[in-house]
Amino acid sequence: MSNPSGTGVTAVIAARIGQSLLVIALTYVFVYFILFALPGDPIGSRINNPLNPIPEEQAAAITAYYNLDRNALEQFWISVTRLFQGDLGFSLATGRPVADLISQGLGETVALAAVALVLALALSLVIAAAAVLAPWKMVRRLAGAFPVLSLSTPSFLAGLLLLQVFAYQLGWFSSIRDEGAKSLLLPAVTLAFGVSAPITQVLIRGLRKAYNEPFITVLRAKGVPEGRIFTGHVLRNASIPALTLFGLTVGELLAGSVIAEAVFNRSGLGFMTEQAVRAQDGPVVQAVVMLVAVVFTTINLLTDLLYPAIDPRMARQRNNRRSAIRPVTNSPSTPRPSTAPEALAR
Amino acid sequence: MNLSRKLTGKRPVSAPAASLLILSLITAVLASGCSTQPGSASDSTDRRGGELVYLDAELSSNTQLQSSGTWQDSAYIQNITDRLIYRDPETLELKPWIAEEWTVSDDGLTYTFLIREGASFSNGQVLDASAVQRNLEWQANGDSAKGIPANNWFPKVSAVTADDAARTVTVQLTTPHAPFLNVLSFWRTSLVADETINAPIEAQSQLTGIIGSGPFTVESEKYGEEIVLTRREGYAWAPPGLENQGEAYLDRITIIPVTEDSVRLGSLRAGEADLIRYVQPSEEQTLTAAGLEVISARGVGNANVWDLRQSAPFLDDIRVRQALQHGINREQIISDLYTENWNAATSILTPGSLGYKDESEKLAFDPEKSGQLLDDAGWTGRDADGFRTRDGEQLHILTYVDVFDSTSKPLFQLIQWQLKQLGVNLEIKETDYANYSTVLADPAVGARRNGWPEADPIRLTVNYSSDHLNAFNLQQPDPVLDALLAEQLTAADTTARTEILGRIQDHIIESAYALPILDDSQIFALQPTLHGLTFGAEARPSFYETWTETK
Repeated sequence: MSNPSGTGVTAVIAARIGQSLLVIALTYVFVYFILFALPGDPIGSRINNPLNPIPEEQAAAITAYYNLDRNALEQFWISVTRLFQGDLGFSLATGRPVADLISQGLGETVALAAVALVLALALSLVIAAAAVLAPWKMVRRLAGAFPVLSLSTPSFLAGLLLLQVFAYQLGWFSSIRDEGAKSLLLPAVTLAFGVSAPITQVLIRGLRKAYNEPFITVLRAKGVPEGRIFTGHVLRNASIPALTLFGLTVGELLAGSVIAEAVFNRSGLGFMTEQAVRAQDGPVVQAVVMLVAVVFTTINLLTDLLYPAIDPRMARQRNNRRSAIRPVTNSPSTPRPSTAPEALAR
Repeated sequence: MNLSRKLTGKRPVSAPAASLLILSLITAVLASGCSTQPGSASDSTDRRGGELVYLDAELSSNTQLQSSGTWQDSAYIQNITDRLIYRDPETLELKPWIAEEWTVSDDGLTYTFLIREGASFSNGQVLDASAVQRNLEWQANGDSAKGIPANNWFPKVSAVTADDAARTVTVQLTTPHAPFLNVLSFWRTSLVADETINAPIEAQSQLTGIIGSGPFTVESEKYGEEIVLTRREGYAWAPPGLENQGEAYLDRITIIPVTEDSVRLGSLRAGEADLIRYVQPSEEQTLTAAGLEVISARGVGNANVWDLRQSAPFLDDIRVRQALQHGINREQIISDLYTENWNAATSILTPGSLGYKDESEKLAFDPEKSGQLLDDAGWTGRDADGFRTRDGEQLHILTYVDVFDSTSKPLFQLIQWQLKQLGVNLEIKETDYANYSTVLADPAVGARRNGWPEADPIRLTVNYSSDHLNAFNLQQPDPVLDALLAEQLTAADTTARTEILGRIQDHIIESAYALPILDDSQIFALQPTLHGLTFGAEARPSFYETWTETK
């Protein structure tokens, strides 16, 4: 991009990316030393296991093998060096390569979370549209109450109910075996049901607010069809808070997967995390936290960068703020319209 | 099938000879009972084939033979490996297996084993004298470069030599070690291929890294999802006493860890699984009513006991410890919390263990006696909560709920309530698996659950000798106890050892060092179409002779 505002945008993006990398690096250091400070580790419990007591001189050999006899800084250095060599190490509890565990867990969870997310969005849209647009008051009320219902239903209960009906009674699904894509459905429904509540609520509020905006009246007066008003204008206006929430929802999907995966016997990231935390399996916990940190900061980064695309006013605000801080001579007072809708809005 | 009830009514038992071999009877009834049901095929070709779906309550966590070994891991290892010596779960006698015969020198220092011909590991390596030698050296010394400790049950070994031509392996000990042959029958001493011994500890920590010569081999494992075992083609070296001498009957075994209790039960009832492990006592009745079988497997070894730790306040007073001994109502524990598949401990060892002695009279519930003992010890005051006090101090004991036993929380709470009747404040804290050993390092913790099925009472020495773990945290070594614990290792013969073990049990219970609570039970539930499930002497399931009607 050659125009001045273009370089501005690039600088902002670069700064945001730098910020995200810093957050991830700090998380690594922080988590490392938190884990280090906590008492207990799988090797320690193996050595002190009352079921298989290991004499001291043998314990020393195990400790040395795992570098646990070094001090915190030395161990940190070893771990960072290995990280930069692409080596995530081995799980202390199971001896499996951490990279294998993470990739297995990630694969399962991404599939589950993606399906759940699509379901959650669809569910939220339908419910929110019904709550705002339905011509019958009863339906609007019922739909409006739905988020409360889904929020107050514990997801393990929802999951067990689904299992009871669709696996044990009807036999349509296996409760224990991985049947590929089919196995995703029940846990995804469980997850979607849980995470859809906040999205639905925010959407309902946004839709109501947008419909009260004066420009809707203008559009109606212009004869724009209701469908286009909803998809092209109302939804667009209502979607900024929903997008913010979307970022948070990804986090919630990761957290919620612990329960869905436990109930539906899936070995995804939630399950790996639960196992690793239970055993205080440092290398695995560290890797999981890092992964989550990377996912979170990336999603945050993306949503931040997406806002201006949806609502160009934000880009303008940002540029104004930038010029306020660093008044540059060549910055034009009004940026060129970057998107077609924006041009239309003028 | 209610095995334990069948059992108690059966056989006329003559006191010392029987030694109450509860587990062996269970497995005997089980093995015979299951395979001779009316209408069931007796022809082995009919038994052949089919798949067993086994839902375990826990995940495989670490299979490294010397350093780890959770209950579930040892159960899997049992089915994919063989051992030198077979311990008949029925008679508890040691019988030939990979070792056709053995001799022990008169001084108890030289063991010579004759290795059978024709056995091989699943990777093709011949299981010969050299392979056995390699295993025994590895077990005896560990491999410190790989972080692998020695087998803690092993004696000090000065040399192991092999003669492949004569098929003999000779083990030279530095001191006599009476438990040695039992230890060689134990799952921890399973024979593995050189490939496993040479592998790093991380590879050995996974079931796929254990290459044995057993009736099943590990086909695959997907962490947390399933382990698939398949029949070893050409397996022909089962312990000679078994009915089946060829390959296992089942084509494959799929082990799926299902940690969620309700899902495990639901899946079994829905017919998705053939066998599940670990059923809460409260569920047993429901399952039986639904037409499923419930089996209780109790291994020989250490009973489920509370070690009282004398580093904790007030527990150095024998009167307090004895008051606890008589203040626990074991029958109430069984009747209120458990089922007939469980029983109260009658000693620190379980019935059937070498040297087991019934101590139940010394453990009789007698709250009056307990009250008297506590009065004598000066605990005569009462505080506002009804707990006993002495010089303004409350009679307070701290314990942590055992993380290894999933039925233990209600058990601890009932004992807490029982002790409250005596005026003793038992405080129960909880922690997780990773922190359990750390919190127990606190000398103020007064009681700790202990006990597990074991091949040999050598564990008494490992646990309680002041040279070893000193699990009672005795502040001054007890010379009588130490001497007995040392003597049992070097006892000249079984009769002498039995007598010493009896004295160890007498001494520990009379001193109220430990409170026996329960005999460890593993509860399985299975489809009625599954037959021939047996258990090793340490209550690990064996699928070698298991077969299913559903192919």
